[in-house]
Amino acid sequence: MTKIGLEIHCQLTNLESKLFCSCKANYREFEPNQNICPVCAGMPGSLPRLNQEAVKKATMISMALNCSTPEKIAFFRKNYFYPDLPKNFQITQLNIYGDTSVGGSGTITVGDKKIRITRIQLEEDPGRLIYEGSSSKNQITLVDYNRAGTPLVEIVTEPDFETPKEVRDFLNILSDLLKNLGVADPSLEGAMRADANVSTRGGNKVEIKNIGSFHDLEKAAHFEITRQESLHDRDIPIVQETRHWDDRRKITVSSRSKEEDLDYRYFLEGDIPWVKINPEIQKELNAKMPESISSKKERYVTKYHIPQQVAEVLSSDKFYSDLFEDSHSETNAKEVANIITTELMGLEDTREKRESSKLTATHLRDLADAIQNGKVSRNSSKNALHEILKTGKSVLQIISELDLGNVSNETQLLEIIDKIISDEPQAVEQAKSNPQTINFLVGKVMQATKGKADPTLTLNLLKKQLT
Amino acid sequence: MNLKISALEFIEEAKNGNISVEEFVSTTLERINSVDDKLHAFLSVNDSAIEQARNIDKKIKSGEDVGDCFGMPISIKDNMCIKDSKTTCASKMLENFIAPYDATVISKLKKQDAIFIGKVNMDEFAMGLTTEFSAFGPSKNPWNIEHVPGGSSGGSAVSVSSYECIASLGSDTGGSVRNPASFCSTVGYKPTYGLISRFGLISYANSIEQIGPLTRTVKDTAFMLNLIAGVDPNDNTTVNNNNEDYLENIDSGIEGKKIGIVTEMIGDGIDPEVMTATKEAISKLEGLGAICEEVSLEMVKYSVAAYYTITATEAGSNLARYDNLRYGYEMPVEGYEFNSYISKARKNFGPEVTRRMIIGGFVPSAGHAGKYFLKAMKVKSKLTKEINEAFKKFDLLVAPTVPILPFKIGEKIDDPVSLFLVDINTVAANLTGKPAISIPFKIVNGLPIGIQLMANSMNDKMLLQAAHALEKTVTLPEVPL
Amino acid sequence: MVTVEEIEHVSKLMKIDVDDHGEYLEKVQTMINYFDILDSAGVESEEISMPEIPIEQLRNDEYIPFGDKLIEKMNHYKGTFVRAPKM
Repeated sequence: MTKIGLEIHCQLTNLESKLFCSCKANYREFEPNQNICPVCAGMPGSLPRLNQEAVKKATMISMALNCSTPEKIAFFRKNYFYPDLPKNFQITQLNIYGDTSVGGSGTITVGDKKIRITRIQLEEDPGRLIYEGSSSKNQITLVDYNRAGTPLVEIVTEPDFETPKEVRDFLNILSDLLKNLGVADPSLEGAMRADANVSTRGGNKVEIKNIGSFHDLEKAAHFEITRQESLHDRDIPIVQETRHWDDRRKITVSSRSKEEDLDYRYFLEGDIPWVKINPEIQKELNAKMPESISSKKERYVTKYHIPQQVAEVLSSDKFYSDLFEDSHSETNAKEVANIITTELMGLEDTREKRESSKLTATHLRDLADAIQNGKVSRNSSKNALHEILKTGKSVLQIISELDLGNVSNETQLLEIIDKIISDEPQAVEQAKSNPQTINFLVGKVMQATKGKADPTLTLNLLKKQLT
Repeated sequence: MNLKISALEFIEEAKNGNISVEEFVSTTLERINSVDDKLHAFLSVNDSAIEQARNIDKKIKSGEDVGDCFGMPISIKDNMCIKDSKTTCASKMLENFIAPYDATVISKLKKQDAIFIGKVNMDEFAMGLTTEFSAFGPSKNPWNIEHVPGGSSGGSAVSVSSYECIASLGSDTGGSVRNPASFCSTVGYKPTYGLISRFGLISYANSIEQIGPLTRTVKDTAFMLNLIAGVDPNDNTTVNNNNEDYLENIDSGIEGKKIGIVTEMIGDGIDPEVMTATKEAISKLEGLGAICEEVSLEMVKYSVAAYYTITATEAGSNLARYDNLRYGYEMPVEGYEFNSYISKARKNFGPEVTRRMIIGGFVPSAGHAGKYFLKAMKVKSKLTKEINEAFKKFDLLVAPTVPILPFKIGEKIDDPVSLFLVDINTVAANLTGKPAISIPFKIVNGLPIGIQLMANSMNDKMLLQAAHALEKTVTLPEVPL
Repeated sequence: MVTVEEIEHVSKLMKIDVDDHGEYLEKVQTMINYFDILDSAGVESEEISMPEIPIEQLRNDEYIPFGDKLIEKMNHYKGTFVRAPKM
């Protein structure tokens, strides 16, 4: 019986400033050590100043994961020495004097399974290290404190996962949830990291650290399970230890961390009083929370009759569900959803494409309406979309410029149909016995009209002409 | 030029143009030159002081707005950051450290045109009671240079009592302002925890320490407090004092106030001279209309052990950042591995600091936290409850600041526990966050004795009124230097 | 009681090289042994108290750059990084 638990670290990249100082939370645009101040560089005499919005966002995350949220939270020091740790201690949260971290126990549903959240804590990210020097003799470590002090939310789960795939699915759901809440952009490099712990057949728990991506996490879990199973099969006991993921060799390797380093001497952080988050504020935060993904999906299905699959895809994506909200009307919701999920997402498949796209909610609404009113066929609408993204011109303009208007004039169509019938005598013969061949003829009409013919109308007219 | 005046007197004279700030500062520097070789209060002297004084004189003459300090020369304990100045904490670990920013108290005083005449000596990283643990040599008590001046703010007390400056800022973690003030016969004040911002004070035990002024008179302390107290966004532990004016009504007196005499602070081990002085102080207080009665604070017996356990733990963590990578002293990183480098670099801590760090690693560690650190935290809680109970009945608490007379240099340096116990009357105020003040009261055989008053949290104003009233009942001889 | 071995272990934890000096360690032992007095304080049932701050008084989430080039005031390498020994 395999048990996997996770420790996920997510940066609150949507904040303006770091957790304990006013340097920028998103450090990625800076040259090394250009986003630092005496506080986050650990200068003598500096003191931490807690970021109010960080506490609020962490509380909202806890609420979104159905975790209990205490009225008073406390911060602790985790003491150890490492060059990326400017104070040589990390300010983090613990629950040794009652429930004092920002989120207590909760749950999240993955498929038909409930995964239990142990706790959620708010803490600071360390800096970054680069190694220079070719030989082991002249190697030095270079430290960049730009990232030091970035606000992190750590989400710890119970070992409720049974397969690596479940883990992968969970991480995707969590990622979407955090994005939907507006607290983080998990797609930013390094914004979301996870460690795992794995135990099999009731044996000891093994921690796996240094996992670079979710993809690697799935692989690492897989490898570790296999490694443990093979040890079990040979009656070799599993050592309780920390291993790190070696991305080059695609294996987990024992870390052999020294005994001394494991005593963190936890005690309360005296520079930060206990923060009171009273019930009124908690209620306010709850009310301010954006609609959850599951609630959106529910609404799409029941109110707009959008198919389950489409609703699933749309609700999970914050960018596109926001676009949907802005562009749909009472009548065209299903069509808008369809355009987004079947066409738009594919066209705008990178952040750059989304950012440079000239499409607005109005475009989407007009396009959906045009399709529904038969002004343009669904086929042609693909071309229209392309053009909109590039030029931003109005739907009306594009339909006329590209001559995409639907040929739905019966007389016009009949003319074309008659021509096709005369051009394709063999197909016409076959169509009389094999109904499938009609589609070939419809296709021919579409070709002749450059895709502008209304397919339903064409089919009906063809059928009439052939009988 | 007479240097033996109080801050308020200086300001009055300077404001009226009766004295030139430049002349006063220049005479002060001469004084430092003539006595500091003997006393060793100063670690560094500000060589732009005269120029700054000149500028203030100009401002005064031209009728421009001048800050409230009027160029008064203040010494600063060398654990507070002054931008672009050396800040060493009297330690070899920081002998090259130049602060990149001003502590909040420094910015506030700068705005008020104070002149920082120099940085003064202390026990290394504020860990000590005698200034003997400075890496740069001890300071001497101006009343008798064979005796300790107290600590850890020894340099502050010496510089004020020997007229090397008008006032000083020190820091008080377990008595480090009050103890040297008592030993050197100056006023020494520790405010309610959170009243003065610690931003820029190099941390030793951050949950209980406070910056505090050392001055010649209680009124001078109230004046300083007006300038530096108040909530600071840079320090989450500061509290709002609603812009209290501590000088206003300082003459109110203590008629009818109930004062508790803490029995555990006048127990066994108290020097007979100190006991006599304490009894005299109590009579004076009664003469002023107060009602004095004994009160017991049982937890005081455990307060020293609790104090050293908690401070060692916090110090062990607060001093972890001194790994010599970003700041410190000259020691190149080539040829070392990380752990071996920092372990060697940190050998530059003095022996007392090293001892405290080891204790600080031990008492909160996984196997021992329950027995030591957690118990100490609980003693802290219980002491706070006891003292809060006492303050339901009493307005103030009184005791001698130190139960013994200033002792000789070298006398207690090898006996750690005996040294610890010098703190027994002062640590309670730090552990509980209550304000406390040492008032110079008597000189016996040429050695000063100070009396300590304590009040409840945020009652700093009333405490200063009481201190001022007691101070006025005695006239003390001048320092023989 | 605390043993010399425990003290040596802690000095490694605190990353301070301690030359093996008996008297030095003896003083530490004396200090720690003094703390045994805490056992008779009778405080097992006490709660730990801490000051509090309401969330509304915490710092606003604003980006304010420090201004001075702090890296130049620290020990630095190539003007951009802080140098540390190899791991």
